[in-house]
Amino acid sequence: MKHILFIVTLVAALATQLQAATLEEKVVERTMKNGMKLLLVERHTSPTVSAWIRFRVGSVDERSDERGIAHLLEHMLFKGTTTLGTKDYASEKPLLDKIEVVAVALTAEKAKHEKGDQVKIAGLEKQLAALEADAGKFVIKDEFFELYSKNGGTGYNAFTSRDGTTYLISLPANKLELWAAIESDRLQNAVLREFYTERSVVMEERRRSYDADPESKLWETFVASSFLAHPYGQPTIGWMSDIENLTRSKAEKFFHNYYAPNNAIVAIVGDIDTRKTIAMVERYFGAIKPGKELPPVTAEEPKQGGERRIELVAEAEPTVMISFHKPAVNTPDDYVFDVINMILGSGRTSRFYKKLVIEKQITSDIGAFDAPGNRYPNLFVISANPRAPHTVKEVEDAIQTELDLLKTTPVSERDLQRILNKIEYEEARRMGTNGGLARNLTEYEATTGSWRYMSEHRGKIASVTPADIMRVAATYFTRENRTVGFITKKGGDK
Amino acid sequence: MRRLLLSICFLITWVTSVCAGDQPLANPRTMTFPELAFQIPKAERVVLECGMPVYLLRDTELPIINMTAMIRVGSVYEPATKSGLSSMVGSVMRSGGAGGMTPEEMDDELEFMASAVESGVGGDMGTVSLTALKKNFSRTLRMFSDVLLRPDFSEKRIEITRKQIIEALRRQNDDPKEIAGREINRAIYAGHPLGEIATFRSIGSVTRQDMVEFHRRYYRLDNMILAVSGDFDRTALLKELNSTFTPEKHPNVLALPEVPQPKQQFQAEVLYGKKDVNQTVIRMGHLGLSKDSPDIYAIRLLDYILGGSFTSRLTLEIRTNQGLAYSVGSHFDIGRRFTGSFIAETETKAESTVKAINLMKKIIAELTKEPVSDSELSAAREYMINSFMFGFTSPASIVTQRARLEYYGYPDGYLEQYRDNIAKVTKADILNAARKYLHPDAFKLVVIGDSAKFDQPLTTLGKVRELDLKLDIPKP
Repeated sequence: MKHILFIVTLVAALATQLQAATLEEKVVERTMKNGMKLLLVERHTSPTVSAWIRFRVGSVDERSDERGIAHLLEHMLFKGTTTLGTKDYASEKPLLDKIEVVAVALTAEKAKHEKGDQVKIAGLEKQLAALEADAGKFVIKDEFFELYSKNGGTGYNAFTSRDGTTYLISLPANKLELWAAIESDRLQNAVLREFYTERSVVMEERRRSYDADPESKLWETFVASSFLAHPYGQPTIGWMSDIENLTRSKAEKFFHNYYAPNNAIVAIVGDIDTRKTIAMVERYFGAIKPGKELPPVTAEEPKQGGERRIELVAEAEPTVMISFHKPAVNTPDDYVFDVINMILGSGRTSRFYKKLVIEKQITSDIGAFDAPGNRYPNLFVISANPRAPHTVKEVEDAIQTELDLLKTTPVSERDLQRILNKIEYEEARRMGTNGGLARNLTEYEATTGSWRYMSEHRGKIASVTPADIMRVAATYFTRENRTVGFITKKGGDK
Repeated sequence: MRRLLLSICFLITWVTSVCAGDQPLANPRTMTFPELAFQIPKAERVVLECGMPVYLLRDTELPIINMTAMIRVGSVYEPATKSGLSSMVGSVMRSGGAGGMTPEEMDDELEFMASAVESGVGGDMGTVSLTALKKNFSRTLRMFSDVLLRPDFSEKRIEITRKQIIEALRRQNDDPKEIAGREINRAIYAGHPLGEIATFRSIGSVTRQDMVEFHRRYYRLDNMILAVSGDFDRTALLKELNSTFTPEKHPNVLALPEVPQPKQQFQAEVLYGKKDVNQTVIRMGHLGLSKDSPDIYAIRLLDYILGGSFTSRLTLEIRTNQGLAYSVGSHFDIGRRFTGSFIAETETKAESTVKAINLMKKIIAELTKEPVSDSELSAAREYMINSFMFGFTSPASIVTQRARLEYYGYPDGYLEQYRDNIAKVTKADILNAARKYLHPDAFKLVVIGDSAKFDQPLTTLGKVRELDLKLDIPKP
């Protein structure tokens, strides 16, 4: 048995090396003098290119009075610079300064809630509206978008997570210099105009994505309850009262502290000439001065001392989420969790699907994943919808039975080989789109320290043994380490 | 050798960057670009010995082969009393075993190879798809053809699928956005098969025999088109396809049911559904047009200007200027077989519900009164023309696009002339199209939220019909 396993592992490791050489061969890596990291891949399938910039700063890096700022800042960085998005910045700037004074005063007064001076609030609101209207006369609306768009750019967007903030675009291959010109300008000269209207937009985003959707609302509550000390618990978008109290000054401070070339990873994938592209990026970004190093999050989540149960009463059918604390990405046990995740939750041959969906028929769907981030110790999460009339409790018990089985019974060789085969396929597939590859390169470079994590992953997975799985299951899948969240239908079934 | 190549590469880049400083930086507003030659990629069309058309595009970048069969079937062919039949067929073709393989055997064999075969049925098209590493293609193809032509429809798996759909029906009113999306579609397509939805009763009434007959009637080689892309050898592939899809003998000639077009009725209606939430979901719209209309190019541009981009009129006013919503937009879904729809949508806090609705209707109505500006037209036109190449970024998308054009009967040269047709559209064309296809006074309006918190009563918008969101759940 041991011998066979050894051979399988060896073959897989060899195959990994072959595949890895392909990716290694394709990626050109370069660190600029100011610390900006460039990752480039030539793909000549179509005359298009995707460019992604990832900043190593996300909501996990916010202080408690800044919650929501990384995400709101991401919105604000679409509003232009001292030369773009404005007809005349010299005339606009004094108005923006006045707006900030009034808005800060208004925010402070409103923060007093019922003790706030209502007359003063009304006066400040009127003043703010008038100033915003005046400043608005200088604004060229969404000029970044217009410029990209008329040049055929698609998928112009950005997203903020716990771990980082990413800005992305795809362009016809001959227009890449437009990206360099706009993005280098944005990094140096961003102007956070129209801030307070955008703050309202983000409140609507919050209502849409969390408040009005029961499952997302449970998710937010569940994650927050899983972390007492570590900022992974706080929602990236911020709680409503957090958003209400964000100001442009806070966003500018966050921007100047963390948006610097040494905190940036750029991936450019597509129909490019690597040499010319590096020269072009150097030309636009090379002179930008590096900023401060981002300090690591020092808070450590204390060891959980007993099960936590989180209930949400909602106008919705029951849902259940179960989580266990686990180590960060790219640690030895994390690779074991990757294997466990695939054995339990990936595809129609996974144990959860076979047992809970097909055999017992107590859930209609079930999945497993890591959340809410990867840079710091995180959670292994299982989420399922009980199928009526089966209850949350029945589903919870059936899940725990499967977890306990992992502690006592070694996983079969065929199960492990199936996982390696799946990873081999994924390795090939993920090189098939410019955007997908740019996404993976920036994400893994940022969270694991190197994009090479991708090419080394299969080898690491191949070295996980059935004994490792039993040890990890026994260590982490305990009652003390478990958090259970569930929706109870308001008023029960009628 | 590889290592050497890499280090040379690094050396070159280092040298260039040292002397890169003297070129001036360009201004994004005025910068110019080198020419880009873009040829629309073609796929080869071959007819198999059984008569089935196949589109082929070989590409060896990845060691993967993708394949899709498009079958002339759809939910429009199911009787209203059996709504959900076609989607059950699509699902159980894959999950219920095929060609004598049990469901478990098939899952195990496919997933061990990291191959996938999936099947589904939409409103007017059924698809069965395959993806596999090149080395596993032949074994995967065998299961693909079994799923497509020889599904076993295991009784046990039919029951599991039925129970899962019933569970989804129980959950259909949990998310307000899902309710609104379903109800606007029902209102627009009332009386037409496209407006029918599955119910506990209709799902309960579907029998295995219904499924077997539905499959037998539509899933035949003279009723489908195939698209294949990836790392294959053309000769070997065609040989394999010909031996897999051998000519069929059918006792009867293929007869697809006649499905009428939706009735062109434009009558305003306000539908309200109560949910205890702080944000209201708003959807409004009516029937639109189909691909056979000469106005489709004007409508594409209108769509971009009105609600299809980040700088569209709806987004600019409701989101950027007024901060009333995160997501707002509108879309003409240009119908392919049937008349399509126009739907405008947003979500706003309960306290600005009626304000947002009135603003949206006003912005839409303005398009029917005044021509769009020159700059709006040119921005939309440049985007459409310059981003056209993004429709052709992967071999799989190129080949399925070609197959889809034949499936829906698009005219020859549709893709080749697309950019010219967009370039020809004038402001007058857009105004005419707006007048012809936009009728804000006849919108079906769906509002899901808590009316007690609205800024004004919904009755200011018309007579309100309240939706019954209580489900008539049969006891298990």
